[in-house]
Amino acid sequence: MTLLALVYGVHSFLTGRRFVTESDAPLQPGLIPPRERRRAPQSVKMAVEVLDQACSMAAVSPASAATVFSSAMGDMQITDYLCKVLVAPPRLVSPTRFHNSVHNATTGYWSITRNSHAPTSAISALNYTASMVFLEAAVQAAEEDLPVLMVSQEMAAPAALRTICPSDTPISLALLLSKPGLFSAPLAPFRFGIQRKSTDWPALHPDLDEPFKGNFGSGLLPLLAAIASADSVPSNAPASFEFPLSKSACLTVSLKNRGNIGAQYE
Amino acid sequence: MSLAITGYTATSGLGCGVECIQGSILGNRSGLRKNDFPGCDLETWIGRVGVLETTLLPRHLEHLDSRNNRLTWLGLQQDGFLASVFELIDRIGVDRIGVVMATSTSSIGRTEEAYMHLDDSGLFPAKYCQPEVHNLHSPGIFVAEATGLTGPSLTISTACSSSAKVFATASRWINHGFVDAVLLGGIDSLCLSILYGFNSLELLSSGPCRPFDMRRDGISIGEAAGFALLVRKDLAPEAEFELLGYGESSDAYHMSHPHPEGKGAILAMEQSLKRAGLPASSIEYINLHGTASRANDLVESYALSRLFPTQTLASSTKGWTGHTLGAAGILETVITLESMKHGLLPGTLNCDHPDPEFKFPILTENTQKPIRTAMMNSFGFGGNNASLIFGRLND
Repeated sequence: MTLLALVYGVHSFLTGRRFVTESDAPLQPGLIPPRERRRAPQSVKMAVEVLDQACSMAAVSPASAATVFSSAMGDMQITDYLCKVLVAPPRLVSPTRFHNSVHNATTGYWSITRNSHAPTSAISALNYTASMVFLEAAVQAAEEDLPVLMVSQEMAAPAALRTICPSDTPISLALLLSKPGLFSAPLAPFRFGIQRKSTDWPALHPDLDEPFKGNFGSGLLPLLAAIASADSVPSNAPASFEFPLSKSACLTVSLKNRGNIGAQYE
Repeated sequence: MSLAITGYTATSGLGCGVECIQGSILGNRSGLRKNDFPGCDLETWIGRVGVLETTLLPRHLEHLDSRNNRLTWLGLQQDGFLASVFELIDRIGVDRIGVVMATSTSSIGRTEEAYMHLDDSGLFPAKYCQPEVHNLHSPGIFVAEATGLTGPSLTISTACSSSAKVFATASRWINHGFVDAVLLGGIDSLCLSILYGFNSLELLSSGPCRPFDMRRDGISIGEAAGFALLVRKDLAPEAEFELLGYGESSDAYHMSHPHPEGKGAILAMEQSLKRAGLPASSIEYINLHGTASRANDLVESYALSRLFPTQTLASSTKGWTGHTLGAAGILETVITLESMKHGLLPGTLNCDHPDPEFKFPILTENTQKPIRTAMMNSFGFGGNNASLIFGRLND
C-alpha cells in the first residue's frame, strides 16, 4: 500500500455546496494559445482548464508530471460529426476534426501548449472509467517516481448517442497524485488499494445526483468533496471511499488526517 | 523488470496466426490489396482480414457484435492463445490476471452503421442499442467476457502508440502487485472514419505503402488483432521471451506531425534502454514505426542516427501489413518475437530505393541472423511515443 499526495481541479463542479454550471464559471481563454485554441474542441478546453487548476494548486510545473486522461465515451460531439458525415457520399471529413477525434487529443494539446515531454496516456473502462483512471494514475505515480495528473471527463451526449450514454452534464475533474516528498505545497495524503468486494458508486451530493445521472465521469466527486471540505473544516476523522472497479472488486481510497493536510506521511 | 511473455498471437491482412506472418515474410508476399472495403471508394490499398464478414460470434457473445469484436474473437482463437489463457487461469485464478487492451477507434465502425439506420426519431434502432459496444472500452469488455477474467480491465487509446503502451501499464500493474499477469493486446478494424479521416489529411498512399523508399507517398491502412500474456517471471519458468524495457514520451510539437528532430522518439528509445540497463549497441534489431509517410520515416531515421551504431539492423514491416494503428504495437511486437524465434529478420517490403536523405541505413532484404535482443517502436498522433525492448530466454 502506497501513501501518496493529491490535489484537485474541477470544472462543472461545486464550490462549497453550490453547483456551478459552465455558464457560471466560463473557461479561462488564456490557457491555450490562440493557434491551438482555434482548433481545440470544448472537451480539450475543459480538460486543460482542470489540469491547469491542479498544477497551480500544487505549484507544479506541468512539464514535470505525466498525464492520464480518461473518458468512457471519448468526444461524443466528434463521433456524432464523423458518423453523420460518413452516412453518404461525398464523405468529406474535416482534417482538424479528424485529428481531434483521437482519444489522446487532450494530452496532445496539453503537452504541446505546456512544452511537456513527459509520458501521457488516455484510457476508457466504460462504467469503471473513473475508478480505473485513479488506479492507473496512482500506480504510475507509485512505480515511476514522478507526479501523475489524471483527468476524469464525460461530455454531454448528442441526441443519437443518448440511447447508448445518457450523459447530459459535461464534467471534467483532475487530480495530481504523487509519492510523498516530491512537493512542499499542502496536499492530502491518502492510501489506496484493491479489495475483492462488490460495491456501488458512493452517493453524490443530492444537488448533483440528477445532473450527473448516467455520467461515467462523476464517480470521484465524493472524494473531491471530502478534500474540499478539509480545506475549510479541519477534521482528523479519516474519510474512506470504496469505488467499484468491476462486478467483484473495488478501489479503496482513504484520506488521512484531513485537518492537517500535507503534514504527515507514513 | 522481471516479466515473461508466455504466449502471443496476431491476425492481420497476412492471415490468422503467426505461421501466416512467417510464410509471408519468407515469400515476400504482402497482405495489402486494392481497396475493396464496402462503402469506400477511395483509391488506396488496405490490409484487410478477408474472413471477417463471415466470422460469427458464439451465441453468448452475440450481443457484442461488431467488426472490431469479430476480429478480436478471431484473433483470440489462433496459436492456442485462449488455451494458454485458460491454463494460466487454472494456475493463478481469474482475479489475478488483468486485462489491458488497446485500440484507436474501437467499434466505431458499428456506430457508423447505426447512424445509417437511425429510426424516425433519430435514435439507434433496437439492433444497435449495444452500450457495451459503442464505446472505447469495447475491446476490454469483449476480452474479459470471452475469457471470464475478472481482474482490473481498461483500454488504452493513444492513437498509433496504443498497443505498445499496454506493455508499460501491464508492467506497472504486475510490479505493484495487484495482479500476477496481464492479458494484453490491441485491436483495430477497418472503418470509414479512419479511411476518410486519413484521406482528409492527405496521408493515404494510392498504392501499396513503401516505407523508407524515396518514392513513398503515404500510408496503407490495415486491420489487426494481437495479444500476449505478460506474466511474473517466477510463474513462467518455460517462457521464451521477456520484456526488458519500455519508454514513453510526448513530442510537445503538433497533433498530427512528428517533432522534426524526433525529440519524443529519441526520449522514448532512451528510456527503454535505460530501463533495460542496456547500451544502444546491444540492440540487434529494431522493428520501426516506419509508416511510409514522408515525415515519419525521415524523422525516425534521424532519431536512430542519434542513438544507434549504423550496423544495427532496422526495418519496417508495414509493407506487409499496412499501418494497423492501435494494433500496430502488438502486431509488430509479435512479428519481432517471431523474428527472434526463427532467426529471420524481415527486410522492408516495397523499399526498393531507400531515400538518400536518410541518416540511418534501413534493412531492405530479409536476413538470416540469430538474435537475442530487439526493440519495437510505435509513435502516434498527439505526439505520443512508445518504445519496447524484448529479450530471448532459455536457450
